[in-house]
Amino acid sequence: MFRLVAVRLFFGLLTLWAVSVAVFAATQALPGDAALMILGRDATEARVAALREQLHLDQPLVVQYAQWLQGVVRGDLGISYSNRSPVTEVLNGPIGASLTLMGLAALAAAPLALAVGAFSALRRDRAFDHTASLGTLVTAAVPEFVVGILLILALGPGGLDLFPSVYSRNGGPEQWVLPVLTLAFAVAPPIVRMMRATMIEVLESEYVQQARLKGLDERTVLVRHALPNAVGPVAQVVALQLAWLAGGVVAVEFLFNFPGIGKVLMDAIENRDVPLVQAVVLLIAGVYILVNLAADVIGLAANPKVRVTR
Amino acid sequence: MSSRPDPAPSSPSRRTLLKVSAAGAAVAPVLAACGGSGGGGGGGGGEPVRGGRLSVGVAGGGVNDTLDAHNPTDNVDIARNFALYATLVRYASDGTIENCLADSLEPDEDATEWTVVLKDGLTFHDGSPVTADSVVYSLRRILDPDAPQRGAGDLTGVDAEGLEAVDGLTVRIPCTEPTVTLPEALAEYYNCVVPEDYDPREPVGCGPFKAVEFVAGEYSLFERHEGYHEEGLPYADELEIVDFPDDDARVNALNSGSVDIITQVPHVQVPIIEGNPDLDIMESETGMWLPFTMRVDTAPFDDVRVRRAFRLIVDRQEMIDQALAGYGQVGNDMYARMDPSYPEDLPQREQDIAEAKRLLAEAGHGDGLEVELVTSDISAGVVAAAEVFQEQAREAGVTVNLRRVNPSEYWNEEEGFPYPFGQDFWSARPYITQAAQGSVVGAPYNETMWGEHEEWLGHLEEARRTADLDARNELIREAQEIEYEEGGYIVWGFVNLLDAHHASVGGLEPAVSGHPLGSYAFRNFWKDA
Amino acid sequence: MSAPPIEDLAAGAARGRRGGGLFRAAWGHGRTRVGVVLTALVVLVAVLGPLLAPYSPTEFVARPFETGVDGTVFGGDNRGRDVLTRFLWGGWTLLLLAAASAGLGVLAGTVVGVVAGYLRGWADEAIMRVNDMLLAFPQLIAALLVMSIIGPRTWLIVAVIAASHMPRVARVIREATRAVVEQDYVKAAEAVGLPRWRIMAFEILPNVTGPLLVELGLRLTYSIGVVAVLGFLGMGLQPPTADWGLMINENRQGMLVQPWAVLLPVTAIATLTIGANLITDGLSRAAIGIDRGVGK
Repeated sequence: MFRLVAVRLFFGLLTLWAVSVAVFAATQALPGDAALMILGRDATEARVAALREQLHLDQPLVVQYAQWLQGVVRGDLGISYSNRSPVTEVLNGPIGASLTLMGLAALAAAPLALAVGAFSALRRDRAFDHTASLGTLVTAAVPEFVVGILLILALGPGGLDLFPSVYSRNGGPEQWVLPVLTLAFAVAPPIVRMMRATMIEVLESEYVQQARLKGLDERTVLVRHALPNAVGPVAQVVALQLAWLAGGVVAVEFLFNFPGIGKVLMDAIENRDVPLVQAVVLLIAGVYILVNLAADVIGLAANPKVRVTR
Repeated sequence: MSSRPDPAPSSPSRRTLLKVSAAGAAVAPVLAACGGSGGGGGGGGGEPVRGGRLSVGVAGGGVNDTLDAHNPTDNVDIARNFALYATLVRYASDGTIENCLADSLEPDEDATEWTVVLKDGLTFHDGSPVTADSVVYSLRRILDPDAPQRGAGDLTGVDAEGLEAVDGLTVRIPCTEPTVTLPEALAEYYNCVVPEDYDPREPVGCGPFKAVEFVAGEYSLFERHEGYHEEGLPYADELEIVDFPDDDARVNALNSGSVDIITQVPHVQVPIIEGNPDLDIMESETGMWLPFTMRVDTAPFDDVRVRRAFRLIVDRQEMIDQALAGYGQVGNDMYARMDPSYPEDLPQREQDIAEAKRLLAEAGHGDGLEVELVTSDISAGVVAAAEVFQEQAREAGVTVNLRRVNPSEYWNEEEGFPYPFGQDFWSARPYITQAAQGSVVGAPYNETMWGEHEEWLGHLEEARRTADLDARNELIREAQEIEYEEGGYIVWGFVNLLDAHHASVGGLEPAVSGHPLGSYAFRNFWKDA
Repeated sequence: MSAPPIEDLAAGAARGRRGGGLFRAAWGHGRTRVGVVLTALVVLVAVLGPLLAPYSPTEFVARPFETGVDGTVFGGDNRGRDVLTRFLWGGWTLLLLAAASAGLGVLAGTVVGVVAGYLRGWADEAIMRVNDMLLAFPQLIAALLVMSIIGPRTWLIVAVIAASHMPRVARVIREATRAVVEQDYVKAAEAVGLPRWRIMAFEILPNVTGPLLVELGLRLTYSIGVVAVLGFLGMGLQPPTADWGLMINENRQGMLVQPWAVLLPVTAIATLTIGANLITDGLSRAAIGIDRGVGK
């Protein structure tokens, strides 16, 4: 068990490293001289040369990579081309905003999804179960930005006009509603499904059957015996969904003009801001890998047999 | 990605959004000679009201925002510059030049020496007087050879060493060559007057408002400069300028009432604002143009017949309708629309596909021609214009392949600039200044590689040395005719600027400059209580 | 977007011989039929659309975002082109790209999965470890990274999406293969001395068609989503192409004035993905059902 976790951890780190190589290599393929990009159009030759040296651009790629990785480990991700301040500074606010958005979405989605999933299991093959399963199939299929647009057209200025459809710095809390709702719709279905499957499995298990045979009432069986056993796999799915959120926020933030890392990424791509692109991709991939890792470990801890593919 | 008008990234906005001189008919009459009161214009109606706080949402902004008097870059910087600082002379709404801090600005016979006399009793925000020494200091700061400021290029003729404060209010400005365009240069907002030992971190100027708070990328709060020289101005006690890089957010802020005025309404949003009785739109016809650029030294455009054919391919009204949603005026392949020399009488070029085909066949492209058009979201309407041209060219048997470049890299030589066939955007400038920026050999943005034409160059250089206005315009006219026939620009139209404000706001008046809000004339705005 | 419950399917998978009866079994589920109708509807629009379109997809018929224009049903888009025409033209690119990338990804994943599952040992271990690393890269982020560097190209869209499908498919097919490898007929074929590639191609592959079809459906649903979202982010097909994803991007600014230009493609994409997901769900239920010998 401990060995398995250690192996996972090792491969997780290896993967992180591989991703860093991939990100570095990929962004090196971008045209344009970094020094020139940073200094902008009013760069003089002397200043460009000085900056090139400072950025180690005159060194071989391997050395550049080593320097860059060293920086990454130290938390120094370079200077953003477009606003010429340290990448970490640029990312500070957006990371917080994205985390808040994801947190709120998870908070909104998880309890309801868990309840629906558990209830579906209890009412297996009855109307509620069928409706819920159809509902998850439908919401799971539709891309999140499509859900977002439909929400805007229904609840936003296109329809009932209850909530604004774009985020603005001086807007009120109501501008969080639509982005959070969109993300919540996107993360809920797998949680519902996993909760249902796990609960069915648990309810059918000998363990629960025995509890029933002992004459315990259904409620106690459910709360004392069934639910705790469902925690492991469900936690895993919730974790995986959170990891998915890290990537999924991009389109949602783009749609709602929400100032998080996803929007930073799209802007950075637009401006060919290499250090910023590197940092955001690395960040999202890192979160994704770490959460996957955590999910794996949780899964192993809860039940070595359960593995979830995504 | 498309549909992101006004990206206001650093490079395009870095390009001088110069203004115009001289009368371009078609536009609102000039009010407010320096010292006059505001009034007229959109909204508000009734008498100006004093006091209150005006909140203005301006397009653009970012962490690079600066209050440096001589180095504004972004839209928001420009807006704040107009609020905090003042220039010796300035552009009136119709594009003519009027005195501001100066009581007079006079050249000698051959325009190699200018004399400026300041108005009496001018004060900076800190109460200190505006003197001849302040002017000398300001010009030297702009022209500092070690750290030339943005206006240095406009003032190349000025001999910085020879600047002299003759007395407390009089400055002698010697020039190394005849410089007839000095008033135009001095009317630029970024060539403003600051006190000696100016420190951008404590931005003291003599404009209508003085700085109180400023957070780059977010907002600034200014208050009334009690010593402002125009009697009774400004009306508002406080002026808040809020950064809004995003179009939708800006419009929302106006809708929700969190700001009173916004700049640059995206065309899409016009119906929404028009549908709201509490909001008004101010439309300003400007001299801003979004040309196609054909390199006259590169095939196939080195053949004048191809250039002519391309100019005949364009359906100009359709360009305005589709690319600018109708908010613009048709162009005639000639820039400097507000310059009095603008050749109104040259025949308006219309779409003529048959003639274009004939010219192309004559040039050896009878079986069709395939060209690459490099486009970029450098300004609202540019990419749209490229797509419209692509469609129009099809009729003439010309296949246009669009290559989309990131705005920040559009003017990058590594991308291939200047492109054989590209686009650009320019604000209104007089003909001579514009030619210096974009048409002569060695100009900073000579994207058509025009300027080798000896006859044209001869006229231009002579015009530059000619102090007499009529004689000068005669020479310019000769040059314009040559460019009209053979040049590399397709000037299909001029852009109208749309700003919006609450109906309770008054004092707004359109200007031809291409700067929003009538060149950010905050001093004239008021809000009904 | 997320996976239908295929997890349990992978393990026991293809014990029932061919997947031929799979369709019939799937058709038995009412949802599958609904899915087929929805999908067919959108496919019809996409395929026949260009033939029915009243205008050329690039000609101008209105002012930008103008509605209620004579001769148009839904008015003009962001450039003043006919919204209906753009809609009718904009589907087949999405379908083609999604089908190509799903097909390619499933093909590559199947090859890798079957090889890894059949060979076992260090080859399996190595392949699956690399696989795990590829899996660690979020799909959309990977696509965005590559697009932003090389620039949006049609073949690249297909390649990137296919590449991101590959490890996911491989994982499932490997599980299914491992179950099949234990079967007698495979052992028999090995005993006769058939070359390995023949065993893989003719003995194993036909017996993993169940999970294969489910994967194909699933990857198709994902592909539609990713192609659409890339278009929406401006990283997919480029103007002036008529494409549903791009159409949403181009017209979302005018959504309040001209909702049709956004609503039509959004509805089509939603219908298509729902339809595809219902079919996939039917297939996977049928596959499990066959496994359990209850095929309804």
